[in-house]
Amino acid sequence: MPLAMAIEGETRTITDFKGQEELKRHLQDLGFIKGERVRVVGENASGMILMVKGVKVALNRGLAHKIIVAD
Amino acid sequence: MSVIIALAGNPNCGKTTLFNEITGSRQHVGNWPGVTVEKKEGVYKKDKEVLIMDLPGTYSLSPYSAEEIVARDYIVKEKPDAVINIVDGTSIERNLYLTVQIMETRIPMVVAMNMMDEVESRGDAIDCNRLSQILGVPVVPIVARTGKGMKELMEAAVSVAKSGKKPEKPDIFGRELADAIQAVADVLGEGESDENNWKAIKLAENDEIIGETVPSDKKGAVKTLVDAANKVSGGDAEARIADERYQYIGKLVKECVKKSGRGHVETKSDKLDKILTNRILALPIFAGIMYLLFACTFSENFLFVPELPSPGVWLAGIVEEAWGFAAESLIGAVEAAGASEWAVGLVSSCLDGIGAVFGFLPLVLVLFLLMSFLEDSGYMARVAFVMDRIFRHFGLSGRSFIPMLMGFGCSVPALMASRTLESDKDRKITMMITPFMSCGAKLPIYAMFAATLFADSNQTMIVFSIYMLGIVVAVLSALILNKFAFKSETSNFIMELPQYRIPTLKSVAIHAWEKVKGFAVKAGTVIFASTVLIWFLSNFNFSGMCHMEDSLLAAIGNGIKWIFAPLGFADWRASVGVVTGWIAKENIVATFGQLFGNVSEETVEAVMAGEEALPAIKEVFSKASAYAYMAFNLLCMPCFAAVGAMKREYGSWKWTLRAVGFQMVTAYVVALLVNIVGSMVF
Repeated sequence: MPLAMAIEGETRTITDFKGQEELKRHLQDLGFIKGERVRVVGENASGMILMVKGVKVALNRGLAHKIIVAD
Repeated sequence: MSVIIALAGNPNCGKTTLFNEITGSRQHVGNWPGVTVEKKEGVYKKDKEVLIMDLPGTYSLSPYSAEEIVARDYIVKEKPDAVINIVDGTSIERNLYLTVQIMETRIPMVVAMNMMDEVESRGDAIDCNRLSQILGVPVVPIVARTGKGMKELMEAAVSVAKSGKKPEKPDIFGRELADAIQAVADVLGEGESDENNWKAIKLAENDEIIGETVPSDKKGAVKTLVDAANKVSGGDAEARIADERYQYIGKLVKECVKKSGRGHVETKSDKLDKILTNRILALPIFAGIMYLLFACTFSENFLFVPELPSPGVWLAGIVEEAWGFAAESLIGAVEAAGASEWAVGLVSSCLDGIGAVFGFLPLVLVLFLLMSFLEDSGYMARVAFVMDRIFRHFGLSGRSFIPMLMGFGCSVPALMASRTLESDKDRKITMMITPFMSCGAKLPIYAMFAATLFADSNQTMIVFSIYMLGIVVAVLSALILNKFAFKSETSNFIMELPQYRIPTLKSVAIHAWEKVKGFAVKAGTVIFASTVLIWFLSNFNFSGMCHMEDSLLAAIGNGIKWIFAPLGFADWRASVGVVTGWIAKENIVATFGQLFGNVSEETVEAVMAGEEALPAIKEVFSKASAYAYMAFNLLCMPCFAAVGAMKREYGSWKWTLRAVGFQMVTAYVVALLVNIVGSMVF
């Protein structure tokens, strides 16, 4: 399922990315790689706040739809 | 012998703090050639032979943004004698991702393990000696904010730079992948070469910029081998490389970092974020903070206390007074020296021009001190995120909000604030539309017209409607520019939210000073030159000095007034007003005062405040054309100081002229529409 569907407090494992190469690369640089566990620490109208590799990262909902996660 | 040491690290890792700490105040800020990425150079305060180059903050050496390209080109091509890689110890795993990539270039390097105080207060421990052993490069624990460890760090860096000791080739990749990469390197050139090894990794990562540097006779062979690398990686070598780097880092962290074992503890930052980025509370809180920011800078009735000036206004008053006194004495001295009338006139108008800049320098300073505080505290990242939702509708990102908001105060600092925008497209558009936010200097124009021509209607509503017009035109412009001029997709929003930290006074002061200094120098020169020019044009014609009605400026006004006929104000005085408005928008009122009946200075001030009317302008303006005139001056080219700031931020005349052209056309079209519609309504 897309990461955008996860709710606050949940932790999910990244399984895939959709979208352009360039974006994928930037996500990788920020610690979003396949197999990584990410935790949703906040949500608002703009998008969600995630904890990945001990760093807080905010992303908009459109982008959260391009990251595929599993339990 | 002098050495060059470059600072590299993630955004928010404390790099700027470290840079300030190492160089003291001896630093030079500029732009990297061709891009609007800030370039900072300095000298080590304890050894003038050590040059420090601050590279832009980057997450990796892959070419995602202009910053990353600048940083990696510098490391790979310019080859500093050593790199200090700053690592934020509190998020060591993600920060080491850049570290291993710098190691891949095999440039002599030192790791500065920063924020060690926070690591300790969390109950964690980082074994820097062990990490240094494994990586084969010195790892020095530091606390950049307090200066702790600075001496040891610089000793290590200088010694590495002087010896030129390269780090060992890091053993990151698994056998299969390493062999595949080695095969690519072998095709690029025979024998062991650091440059080819690094390029081979980048080629396997599908790096287009490096791909173009491959000689054409080798392109085929390289492609075959990169395909092979993809194959052993399960289809995507790039993802595999990233994955193996993180695995390598995972092992390092396991070996060298002792976690407190408390698991995830909710920090103060987390608690603050629960409120400041809250679905419902975020916007009201932000509005409150912005209100305070503006009140501190511009308010004449600070915190609703009548007549109490805000710190900004108070400071501006002092500077203005001091300048007025200095200018008067200077003019007195010039007169006493027996200078001719025109020389005195020139000197006094030059002093007025420079005085105008000095007059709002304190406002800019206060505004920037507060903005820098918010920026350094980590709050601005949250603001950009919270506003993103709204700005996305206009094809901009949330980061555009800050410059546009500042535009209501003064376009100059607003344009400079656009520098923080990551996307080039967003930055260019934001700079084009920021001057549409009605700045403080435009208010007197509205006050004059409202008092004179709209005395029978609700004057506040007239002024308010002009402000709204600016906002609406800005939003429409953003939509149109996005659709037709830039044609690129709305950029995704992804941004690290750094931990909240109380910024040090020193870093805020340096941050603000950098901006104000640049503003004073550049804007000062533009204003000065244009003041001299306009003064000359308004006091001379071909036969010498004359009254303004007979001057070259009047001739120009008469020559161009036909342009404004469709807008309803084909009058030379109105045309001259537009031109003098470019020096400073409030000049329009002074010009009108002079041209429409030669009123006294006190009257001009009363007109500016909207307390007095200027009946003579009724002969030229109808309600419709007056509104069109206000709209035109709101939207057309901003004052020269702002154009100077635009030039500085765009980094090219081409883009500056495009922006000014766009503003001129927009102003004309909107004023035309206003005149047509207004003639029907009024």
